[in-house]
Amino acid sequence: MRAFWSVFGKEILLFLRSFGLVAVVLYAFTADIYIAGEGIQVKPRHVKVGYVDYSGGYLANKILSHLHAPEFEKPRAFTSVEALHKAIFDKEIIVGLVFGSDFERSSYRSHRAKVDALIDATAAAQSFVTLGYLQNIVLGMSDIIFPVDLRIHKLFNQNADSKIFMSFTEMLSITTLLAVILSAMVFVKEKEEGTWDIMLLMPTNAKTIILAKALSQVLIILGGILLALGFVVLGIFDAPMNGSFWAFMLLSLLYSLTSIGIGFFIAAASRTIMQVAQLTILIMMPLIFLSGAWTPIYAMHPVLQKFSLLSPLRYYIEGSESIFFRGASILDIWPSFVAVALLGFILFVVGYRKIGRLF
Amino acid sequence: MLQVSDVTVRYGKTIAIEDANLEARHGQIVGFIGADGAGKSSLMHAIAGVVRFTGSITYDTFTYRSPKEAEPIKDKIGLMPQGIGLVLYDELSVDEHLDFFSDIRGLRRDAEYHRYRQRLLEMAGLAEFGGRLAKNLSGGMQQKLSLICTLIHRPDLLILDEPTTGVDPLSRKELWEILDDNRRQRNSITLVSTAYMSEASKMDAIHLFDEGHIIARGSAAKLIDSVRPYTYEETTCEGCITFGGRTYSLQALEAKHAEPSLESLFFVNALQKGKIPPPITIAPRENPIDIPPVVMEAKGLTKRFGDFVADDHIDMQLRRGEILGLLGANGAGKTTFIKMLLGLYPIDEGELYLLGKRIRSYEDRIALKNKIGYMSQKFALYKDLTVLENLLYFANMHQLPLSKAKKRIDKLAEGLGFAQYLHSFPRELPLGINQRFSLAVAILHEPVVLFLDEPTSGVDTIARAQFWKLLHELKNRWNISILITTHYMSEAEFCDRVVVLKRGKKIVDDTPANLHATYPEAKSFEDIFIHFYKDAR
Repeated sequence: MRAFWSVFGKEILLFLRSFGLVAVVLYAFTADIYIAGEGIQVKPRHVKVGYVDYSGGYLANKILSHLHAPEFEKPRAFTSVEALHKAIFDKEIIVGLVFGSDFERSSYRSHRAKVDALIDATAAAQSFVTLGYLQNIVLGMSDIIFPVDLRIHKLFNQNADSKIFMSFTEMLSITTLLAVILSAMVFVKEKEEGTWDIMLLMPTNAKTIILAKALSQVLIILGGILLALGFVVLGIFDAPMNGSFWAFMLLSLLYSLTSIGIGFFIAAASRTIMQVAQLTILIMMPLIFLSGAWTPIYAMHPVLQKFSLLSPLRYYIEGSESIFFRGASILDIWPSFVAVALLGFILFVVGYRKIGRLF
Repeated sequence: MLQVSDVTVRYGKTIAIEDANLEARHGQIVGFIGADGAGKSSLMHAIAGVVRFTGSITYDTFTYRSPKEAEPIKDKIGLMPQGIGLVLYDELSVDEHLDFFSDIRGLRRDAEYHRYRQRLLEMAGLAEFGGRLAKNLSGGMQQKLSLICTLIHRPDLLILDEPTTGVDPLSRKELWEILDDNRRQRNSITLVSTAYMSEASKMDAIHLFDEGHIIARGSAAKLIDSVRPYTYEETTCEGCITFGGRTYSLQALEAKHAEPSLESLFFVNALQKGKIPPPITIAPRENPIDIPPVVMEAKGLTKRFGDFVADDHIDMQLRRGEILGLLGANGAGKTTFIKMLLGLYPIDEGELYLLGKRIRSYEDRIALKNKIGYMSQKFALYKDLTVLENLLYFANMHQLPLSKAKKRIDKLAEGLGFAQYLHSFPRELPLGINQRFSLAVAILHEPVVLFLDEPTSGVDTIARAQFWKLLHELKNRWNISILITTHYMSEAEFCDRVVVLKRGKKIVDDTPANLHATYPEAKSFEDIFIHFYKDAR
């Protein structure tokens, strides 16, 4: 037990003394999550629109007047379609509208007017959402009597605020990334600095050393989660907290053991910190991608959907979201707990064996 | 003619070399001697025009004050940096290396070029290995290849940073022959640094480096003359230093004068600076124990890495209270052997007995871990823990009761002379202090056998002398057995018995006295071992 606490204490002390590492962890759990929440926007913002108006009429102006801040910048007039093309090519604007000379006439006469819209499809999300806006504007101006009215009821995230979701999933992804890196680092640093051999020669069994090292990193990770939760997710973005805080912490604890199991694999395979970084990125990218943190799982290719069942992060995200937004209790979401615990147990034990073989 | 005036090299706040002045003429070999961190490499890099410096350097008529200004004469300079095989590429063959270095220098491949290239290959003994990949060459061959790659563009100013460190004595001799031949044929200026005092006799002028200053210069004979008045036969006195059978004192002593060596210069320099190393004391063992007459016995120990045999059927015995020196060049299999003894590498073949017990399994070792002390290469300890924190951590790992551990740490810190550094971080301390503090870590739990892996490499002369004294003190007080590896052949002198490894095979196993008796004409151990190396070839 004494050996356990010596190693545990030593690792915490070494962490606190390495300025760079502390800075990275603090940044990742605060500023990075804030940026993810604040910075990634799917709604159009300051979209640059250009137009050519051959119709010279009232209707075109009326449509254009609907394109206003903050979604759009004031539309710029161009004299010819060629100039409009060039502006799109030069990325001066991403949407160009062409009102033909018979636009106004045909709209009054036949109700069959047409506007040509040129969009820069490389800015896909922004330009397609802009297109949706345009359709709405046009639809709103014509009095079509449509037999169905869509009435929307927003559940769980009433303000439909993507910031909360983005910051929340970013926190969970960061937790994974740091748990893997930190737990691999505590081993590989010893290899790099040459203290590995001395560590092996201590009359302490390998189990104690490995567990002490791993659990010291769990403490750091859980501390980071609290920081991110308190200051950023709940503090700045004001996320709802409908479920039990302790249920979330328990899930996080189980999950960090899973990540640490992955960290063990990486530690066993790497000799330098550089290799840890490379391997981590290699493993984490598919893990995060398949988890549904960036794309909803139902939108994935069916094969990838099957693969996503293997990503422990998927269950962590599902479970945590249920706790926060749906107010679910442990009993309601036991499959998530069981999945995280099961995958965690397998990864931890196999990873432990792998690193233990080096002892 | 090379003239260096007031050159200072700084890395951030640390001054690597300060106000260095030196002159070298064409055809001269100028040697730099000193410990790691004394400023040799920094001065070499400044002259080669690869680091920023203040002051000025004049080569023939061309003066430069920065790496940029040095650009026009770079094709006249050949620099070989420190580290075995550092300039080589593992996956290129000997011929491909020469092609590559010729191409980046833009050499014309005429008949003269091929004649010169062939001569270099023959001098280096590499003519028949043209197709062999660099990674399959021995350390000595790698260094010879690096040297001829540096020579291929016929530099007039040759700068070689420790080309011989860690290389076997025979290859070292051959390296010096190439250098000597080159300076006679080409009349070039050669600057060469070395960790071996015995190589000083091959230099025309020597510069001794200590803590960023050149403390003495001149020919070997002149330098030795300068300290003769301060060198006496071994005696005891106040305010002097005694080591290796000689006593150094600034005051006149009753004793007879002794013949000094180049190393004496460092001792006299320390005396002149008033830096007398603190005396070393070892307290008796707290827990006396019975030690069997044979502490470790290896029978036919073998370790293979793929096709490569790192240690080939090695027999060795380590007796109670014996200092056994395990000597050999880099890559001879010393570290691998120690790691097998410690159980850090599995044994592929052979039997190992530690303290009379056959070691077969992991469990056997666990039981013995408290009896073994180990100090790894480069004194690896936790850099972000203070000296005291490091010691306490290891005491905890050895389950020493806290109050007892604290007392023992104080005693060791006092006795080994690092008590005032207990609250410093290892990286802030000189190498010599780190070396003694690492030893304290290794003996904290009072082991009966101590394995030391290259504890003296890179450490300055005085700290090295201190360390050897410490080991003898430890042996006498604790009756401990010590297995120590080193690539300094001259340190054989301080061992009770020496074993020399060459490419994984044992070629010598004898006492220093016996070896001297067998080869009475040899001036040093270096010469003795060259006999064995030649025979084993």
